Amino acid sequence: MSLMPSIINGASMGAIYRLIAMGLTLIFGTMRVTNFAHGAMLMLSMITAYSVWAATGINPYLLIVIIGPLMFFVGYATQLFLIRPVLKAESDKNDPIGVLLLTAGFSIVLENLALMIFGADYRMAQTDFSNTVFTFGRTSLSAPRLYGLIITLVVSALLWAFLQCTEPGRQLRATGQDRNTAALMGINSEQTFAVAFGISTALLAVAGLVLLPFYYVTPSVGNVFQTRAFIVVVLGGLGSVPGALVGGIIIGLIETVAAQFMTASVTSVLIYLVFLIVLFVKPSGLFGTPFH
Amino acid sequence: MKKALSLLLALVMALSLAACGGSSSGGGSSTGGASSGGSSTGGSSSGGGSSSSQKVDEILIGNLLPLSGTAASLGKIGQQARDMAVEEINAAGGIKSMGGAQIKMIYADSKGDSAEGVTQTEKLITQDEVQLITGCYQSGVAMASTEVAERYQIPYFVPVPSDDQITARGMKYIFRLAEKTSWRNRDQVAFIQDMAAKTGTDIKTWAIVYESSSWGQGALTALQQYIPEAGYEIVLEEPYNTGTTDLTPVCLKVKEANPDVVLMVAYVSEAALMTNGFIEQGVKPKAFIATSGGFADPTYFDLVGDNCEYFFDISTWEPDVNRPYSAETNAKFTEKYGYGMNAEAVKAYAAMYIIADALERAGSTDPDAICAALAETNLTEGPQQMYSSEIVFDETGQMINAPLVISQFRKVDGVMSRVSVWPESEARVGWTAEFPYSK
Repeated sequence: MSLMPSIINGASMGAIYRLIAMGLTLIFGTMRVTNFAHGAMLMLSMITAYSVWAATGINPYLLIVIIGPLMFFVGYATQLFLIRPVLKAESDKNDPIGVLLLTAGFSIVLENLALMIFGADYRMAQTDFSNTVFTFGRTSLSAPRLYGLIITLVVSALLWAFLQCTEPGRQLRATGQDRNTAALMGINSEQTFAVAFGISTALLAVAGLVLLPFYYVTPSVGNVFQTRAFIVVVLGGLGSVPGALVGGIIIGLIETVAAQFMTASVTSVLIYLVFLIVLFVKPSGLFGTPFH
Repeated sequence: MKKALSLLLALVMALSLAACGGSSSGGGSSTGGASSGGSSTGGSSSGGGSSSSQKVDEILIGNLLPLSGTAASLGKIGQQARDMAVEEINAAGGIKSMGGAQIKMIYADSKGDSAEGVTQTEKLITQDEVQLITGCYQSGVAMASTEVAERYQIPYFVPVPSDDQITARGMKYIFRLAEKTSWRNRDQVAFIQDMAAKTGTDIKTWAIVYESSSWGQGALTALQQYIPEAGYEIVLEEPYNTGTTDLTPVCLKVKEANPDVVLMVAYVSEAALMTNGFIEQGVKPKAFIATSGGFADPTYFDLVGDNCEYFFDISTWEPDVNRPYSAETNAKFTEKYGYGMNAEAVKAYAAMYIIADALERAGSTDPDAICAALAETNLTEGPQQMYSSEIVFDETGQMINAPLVISQFRKVDGVMSRVSVWPESEARVGWTAEFPYSK
């Protein structure tokens, strides 16, 4: 039995988990906020992208010029108008639960709004390359998955470069390491938080567009991906971007390769098992720094 | 998140407790209700004596349907189909053996909920004093509400629900028109066997890909019986959880197993993912065969495009099926209500004609006389032929030979459609099954 097809397909799905998880970990890393509306935001970007695609028929990947900035703005505004006031009110608390509930509530609102406007139907963007398949020997990979793999790799590299080599990136990392010291050094932490949130949702825009040509769109589509993203983030280390990179690949591979040796309904259990083992052996995750 | 979950769990528990309460309170009041039900039926049959005909103005038929809730649209189409049949029967002179008695339908809303179904059935029997009950969409509601009718000894005619258990409980007053769930699987195997023989295709191995909840499990159990019985071998049984992100692993596994037949049980989201996945991964069995559900969903073709071409699916009725009365009745229904019938509407429509036939032969509204007449049903002529050309019930009240039709997804004038292909006598005129799979 050749495992090559499973590995390639697992890697392509893992790359998408990774992209979604990177946004989640970025928010946690800079703001220490767990965003339970992450899946709903992914759904929002997919539904918006689908609607624009259905109206215009433009190649979904080109839609990034519309959906990317739009989702950045949505994230930026969410932080500014929703998260910030609650964070401020709870700034004296050690364990701010209010933001957690706020994001969870926000996801329910988004999902129900989508149900109202978009309806519960399943839709899929059938593009002209949706059914193209590349075959290398015994390994088949559909065009949307291959393009998705390339795009997520490029975007991951860009994010990495942004965080390491640019001034806003440095500010993000500094705020993540110690927000008070960063503020003392003249970094506007409010601004930095909003940028982090915006980038996080812009990453979801990319993930949504990559999924669009081969995945269905429905108001509850974010839930499955959100669960996967949380596992990836905790596995890789909360707040660690390289951790999300590696974690995504690991989960994608477990899901696909392990399924060749056991039934698919058991692999989803296996993913949680790996998750539990990591929490038990190295609670801070593979790449995380232990909390104080 | 956790909080929301625990709240939800608490709610579910409260609801299920309420459901238990509902059915047990129904049980408690049954002793009192039974006597009143008995006295009412006694009153109506006293005029007619034991078996001689009586003159009746109106025959009350209780009808339990989900008229609100998530299945409300399905309840509505069932109501419309029945209304159309009753109008036709009444216009044609009603039940002649009872002096042209008119059928009057009394609708009750089950809300798709078993406890509510029980309450409403009690109400139909004790307050409305109906002579017969029919209806139900969900198997769960049918299971619970038939218990009530059996207790009151009122005949209950179940046209749509297909759970095997409905007619497997030794009840005397329950008749079911629909096929049993397991019969779909039986006919899927029979179809493949027939096609293999006719086309000289060598078929040996099957793969079953099914969703891991009760529907998929039930199908698997039935297939584990029928496939080996037909001399085939199951080489892969692959369950998956509904709501999974990716079905490529499953598709890869099927490819590795390389079966002759791939049998699929799925709701629409996974039906789409696996259809596309099989084509992407180049899985090429000799037949793909689906078990309705997601594959019969109106959005399915939009989700998969041409990928589903030459797949087979099973159902009990298709708009293009070649049966007497089918095209005319569907056209009349479409003109009257603005949309076409579905398999459930057809069963509901046919049910009224079968009930009318039984009433005609019973010549009385006595429940036991109606029951005896239903049990002796042997109908070969009439509008119910759009569902089945022969209506006979076995001793459990189950319709024998409930008809099933296999359709194939084919392009008709460039548009993907369900084309009936088997049994050949009922196939769309001019079409035959494309077998083996050749894409």
